Parts: sequence; C-alpha cells; structure tokens
Amino acid sequence: MEGTAVLGGLGAAPRLPWRDATIRAIRPETPSAKTLVLDVPGWPGHAAGQHVDVRLTAEDGYQAQRSYSIASRPGSPDLELTVEGIEDGEVSPYLTEDALPGDGFELRGPIGGYFVWDASRDEPVLLVGGGSGLVPLMAMLRHRRATGSTVDARLLLSARAIEDVFYREELEELAADSVDVRITLTRGEAPPGWSGFARRIDRDMLADLGPPPAERPRAYVCGPTPFVEEAARLLVELGHEPARVHTERFGPTGD
Amino acid sequence: MEEGSLHTDGNAIGGVLAEVFVAEVTAAGRVCQSCGLDSQIGAHRLYTGAGFVLRCPGCGDLAAVIAALPDRNVISLHGAWSIARTSE
Repeated sequence: MEGTAVLGGLGAAPRLPWRDATIRAIRPETPSAKTLVLDVPGWPGHAAGQHVDVRLTAEDGYQAQRSYSIASRPGSPDLELTVEGIEDGEVSPYLTEDALPGDGFELRGPIGGYFVWDASRDEPVLLVGGGSGLVPLMAMLRHRRATGSTVDARLLLSARAIEDVFYREELEELAADSVDVRITLTRGEAPPGWSGFARRIDRDMLADLGPPPAERPRAYVCGPTPFVEEAARLLVELGHEPARVHTERFGPTGD
Repeated sequence: MEEGSLHTDGNAIGGVLAEVFVAEVTAAGRVCQSCGLDSQIGAHRLYTGAGFVLRCPGCGDLAAVIAALPDRNVISLHGAWSIARTSE
C-alpha cells in the first residue's frame, strides 16, 4: 500500500485505503447507464451525497482514475454506483460495456463532507440534478425514505429525453409518496401526454418548484459544470443563500 | 477567472486531500486572502491538468496546487485554511 511505511512509523490513523471491489450484479438503467452492485470487503459505510474514487489498472501498469457518486442509501447492505457510459472515456466504457459480474477494480472512499445530506436536518431540501447528476441526489432521497423523514423535499431533474432518466419507477413511487418530483426534457419530442417541462432549466422553473428562499431550504445541485453554474446562479438570483447552495460539478462530460 | 466548463470542484479532489490530511477536508472552510470570501473546500473550483489547481469560487485566487505523484501527494496551500476535526 502506498506510503504505509512512513505513516506506519508515525502510528497515524489509517489512511483512505484502496479496496478491492467485486461486481456482484449489474442493472441497466438507461441505454447508456448501468448500476453496479458491489461487494467491497471492509467497506465502512457512507453518507448520502458522498462519492468514491475508482481506479483501473491496465496490464502495462497504466492507471486511470475517476470519481463516481454513490447511489445506494446510507446503511444499505449493498454499495451501488450508477455509471453513465461516456464515449471516448477512459473508465466509464469499461464499467458500462465490458465489466461483468465477478470482475473487480479498486475503489477508495467514501469521500466528501461538503455535498452531503443527513436526514436529521429539518430544513426543506431542494435537489436539482442534470443527467447523471441525479445519482447522489437519489442517495439522499433513498436515505430520506428509509429513515421516515418528513422534511419537505423537492427534486428538479433535467434530462435529454425520458429514456435517459435513471430510476424512473422509483421516482414515480417517490412522487406518489411525498416528494415533489419535476422533470424537464431538453431535447427531442416529449412523449405523448407528457405533463412535465420541456425546456432547459430557467428562473421560472426554479421559482415554481420552490420552496421560497424565506423558508431557507438547503439546495444540492449536481450535474455537468455548465448546468451546475447556471442552476446555482439562478437559485442565488432568486434569493437563496449562497452558503446553502451546495454544488457538485462533473466537468464537461462527467467521465 | 472566466467561467468555463473546464473546471469541476473541490469535491473531486477529496480523495487526494484525505490521503494527505488523513481526514475529510472538503467540508473545511477557507478564507480567501484576496476577496475575503469564506467558503468550503468542496465549493472551490478545481482545474485539472498535469496536476490540480484549486481556486477561490469568488475571485479565482489560488487556494492550492496539488501534485498526485506515483509515490506521494504534494499540496501547496494558499490563503487561510481552517481544518477542524471533531474530537473524540
């Protein structure tokens, strides 16, 4: 393990170790995204919104590393990552196209303390996701449901088309339960009978979703960088406190 | 700093920071010495190239330069970082 000789000599606390993860099951979510159900011996558990670093090593020793949000709820017996396959990506094509149950890779985590939500919070929660930015927000909604939390929770999801929306059935269940779920489709034609939005996120959409800034909601915005920049800017423009708008950017592609 | 799609944010560097600080650091605060903004490390902008450059989300001033080398991670800090760890 890297550097253990030095830190071992100092008697330091354990570092964030690379662990062996083995794929137990694979669940397709959309034509390009899959959920990987993982066995990770020694996994210490996680909080909603955290991510892991995944490291792949080629036969020649070349390593590629990417971060992926954890989709499963805290306390879940399974660790699940939902990965969107990005064309020309270094890591995601392997995870979404080549990897099979029984295959493994290295992973370290959980990582993050800034983009994290805990069900013990009692202020309203406003979740805004772009594409696969839904993943950490889903961990929060699963956490809310599993703990029986009754906090006001609202989700606005922006996706290219309905086929690109992860966890569709579960989102419908959450909407029927107690979460205000809105979806906006940004490309192509909306399906017949579509009652959601069909445009890029804008100020009116976020104002309509609420809750109003006076209720001091905590907002979590996750997605590709341009999406997050725009959504966070609009929320602050509407009067939400910048310190209560938590952001997580995937970069231009998210791979 | 200009707004662009090249950056991600401090969340993405949490793993490397945890390697060095042996603690979760993305929730730590930092006061920018240029603009005075107090913001969490996870909210900073991260630029990735041969290494990583972390910048203030308010004014873009330098917060850290991070090199993840094969045998070690090297971090050069700028501005006033405040890292608290709950005592046990």
